[in-house]
Amino acid sequence: MRRLVALATVISAMLFIRRVLPGSAIDERGIGLALGFALLAAALAGDLIERLRLPRVTGYLLFGLAAGPAVSNLISGSMARELRLIDGVAVALIAVMAGLEMNFVALRPRLVAMLKVGGITIAVLYATLFAVFYVAMPWMPIVPDAQGPFRVGVAALLATIVTSFSPTVTIAVIAENRAHGPLSDLTMAVVVLGDLALVFGFGIAMQLVRTATGTAADVSVLAYMSWEIWGSLAFGALAGAALAVYLRVVGREAGVVLLATCVVLSEVGTRLQFEPVLAALAAGLVIENVAPPRGDILREAVERSALPILIVFFAAAGASLRLDALRAVGLLAGGVALLRLLLIRGGTALGVRLAAVGKPEGPLVWRGLVSQAGLTLGLTVLVASQYPDWGVAVETLVVALTSLHVLVGPILFRRALEEAGEITEGHLQPTP
Amino acid sequence: VRAAVAPAIVYVPLGYLLGPHGFTLLSSSALRHLDLVVWLALTVLGVFAGLGLRVRGPQERAMLLGASVEALVTIAAVAGAVAWLAGQWSLPVANSVTSVPLLVGVCAAASAVVITGGADPLRARAARIADLDDVAVVLVGAWMLSWHQGVTLLDAALAAVVVVPLGAVIAAAGLLLFEQARNDAERGTFVLGVLVLLAGTAAYLSLSPLLIGMTAGVLWRWAPGRADAIIRADLEKLHQPLVVLLLVLAGTTVELTALTLWLLAPFLVFRLTGKIAGGWAGWRIIGGTTAGELGVRLLPCGLVGLALALHFNQMMDGPIAAAVVSAVALGAIGFEILTVGALAGSEA
Repeated sequence: MRRLVALATVISAMLFIRRVLPGSAIDERGIGLALGFALLAAALAGDLIERLRLPRVTGYLLFGLAAGPAVSNLISGSMARELRLIDGVAVALIAVMAGLEMNFVALRPRLVAMLKVGGITIAVLYATLFAVFYVAMPWMPIVPDAQGPFRVGVAALLATIVTSFSPTVTIAVIAENRAHGPLSDLTMAVVVLGDLALVFGFGIAMQLVRTATGTAADVSVLAYMSWEIWGSLAFGALAGAALAVYLRVVGREAGVVLLATCVVLSEVGTRLQFEPVLAALAAGLVIENVAPPRGDILREAVERSALPILIVFFAAAGASLRLDALRAVGLLAGGVALLRLLLIRGGTALGVRLAAVGKPEGPLVWRGLVSQAGLTLGLTVLVASQYPDWGVAVETLVVALTSLHVLVGPILFRRALEEAGEITEGHLQPTP
Repeated sequence: VRAAVAPAIVYVPLGYLLGPHGFTLLSSSALRHLDLVVWLALTVLGVFAGLGLRVRGPQERAMLLGASVEALVTIAAVAGAVAWLAGQWSLPVANSVTSVPLLVGVCAAASAVVITGGADPLRARAARIADLDDVAVVLVGAWMLSWHQGVTLLDAALAAVVVVPLGAVIAAAGLLLFEQARNDAERGTFVLGVLVLLAGTAAYLSLSPLLIGMTAGVLWRWAPGRADAIIRADLEKLHQPLVVLLLVLAGTTVELTALTLWLLAPFLVFRLTGKIAGGWAGWRIIGGTTAGELGVRLLPCGLVGLALALHFNQMMDGPIAAAVVSAVALGAIGFEILTVGALAGSEA
């Protein structure tokens, strides 16, 4: 009850500030207001949603949607854009968390099976989507007159983007529920594999499109992908090793140092054209598998730092959801989303069967693969900026798809974790 | 003898070297990204001032009154002197001949204390007065900020009045949440959210972050429950980094111009005079110590004064505001040296 009253108080204060009082004309001055409002109100919305047995992440997203420019405009478009400045750090932190959860010694007996499930699912998804997009190209409002290698390139690009999963949402749902078990492990392994495949697939598809449109750069596909993949992994491993040494030798202010490492992984990594998710994942893997810190110092730091970052990240994502895109290409997006869902289900069923993965994780893993979020959108923005004549149509379609998947995916995944019995009992209990 | 706050003598020059006038490791654009952090730091200082505001019992009330008188005397001495000298020296603050001297005066009024190695019966009392004289500084500073933006004095007063209910409402939300948090991470999120919302509200509406923070601090201090203890425990971890941050930021703003030196000279001389006179006036109300001792104890510049100068620099963003920050920052170094010297001499 107190939480409801607090939420009502915060919303009333925000309404009064935004609607009644004259605000600053300087856009940057609104960031603190939006940030504070998002931190408090989204945290409370996530809590309320969790009481309905839905993921907190969905609460943060719905809060963002309701408060954002598409609905109430309490968080304006410019405020939402400012809030997204933390996206890089949030994605890096989430990926580090994923790396910290992947202990190779513990996973070794199931590693081959996990790779099989992931590989088969991704292959089924990609191959079918590529064929469908290639055949349906003349009837899709993107480049209906595309022919030859260009048509192949665009179909490959669309198939890659639509195939992608969301490591951030998956890891966030696992983290918020403190879930542990075979389903969490398998889902995480498949989304990480999907992220690697996305980097490969996107690189190849973009190179195909560039070659077909005569805009190819001098650098070869192989060099580009080697730099992006191996460079990211090496950079991340180096940052992870540095963090591990710090934690062992100094061990103080672990939360601040962890966040600083995420800033480096995100900002420096992006400038060097590394893939931040891969780099941060490598950092987490090195810490967990090579030089784990003594005690729970890092785990506690992650728990303390992650909550506000996740709240703001997903609230900002919700505020940036574009309902107009959904209205514009809703039917097409709905059709593609349905096809993707069926393919994920079919692909995982085949993979699980061939890899002989049993219950409960086998039949449930598909539910962890539905979400799509930031990385997918980021790549689409890249396409739209490089090929504005048809890339904008791709962006609109993918934005609409992502809006659907980011709202539905976490709900499905949490239910699956619940059915698998992997949600830690009492994760909502107060600490003594 | 060591200063109670992180020494300005170290961090202000460090900020100068790192900033746009030094090696440009912190460029002007990078500093602009820290705007929200400055607003947050000011809000946190306001919360500290509010949490320290106890007025139960006649002795506490006398302390508050004495500290406020001491601060107001210092403001009057410094502002009056700077205003008179600005006219005499034809300083380029002619358009703001009232507000700039008053700003320098308000920044001069905040005090810190010095921790000495041995048993020091006066220290606790001086520290309490240094905490309480922030109240007058925050209130006058908030009124000045509104005045600077408003057209009339009445407008200014009305704008300042808006801060209090807004701060109280947001603080009330915190009050409902802090004790209900399910774990440390959630409590930390609530504390951070409330502080950022307070700072963000002040920034968005161009209100005083110090006053909105102080309002919240007072509410948490006076309300039943453990809200004040919770927020104090969380903020104490932030205190030292904030002190360092504000001193370094002040250092990045320092400009060694003629106007800075013209403002620095009366700041040093008349703050000294004002603190001694204010200490004497405060002593008349509080009693229990000697006037000169109290004034000397209060010589180190309080961080709130420096924060206020930085805040006006954010709001006004011009050479005059930068000169005020520079004078206050350099003055803080001067008083730090003076106090350490004076106390070392008295110990010897």
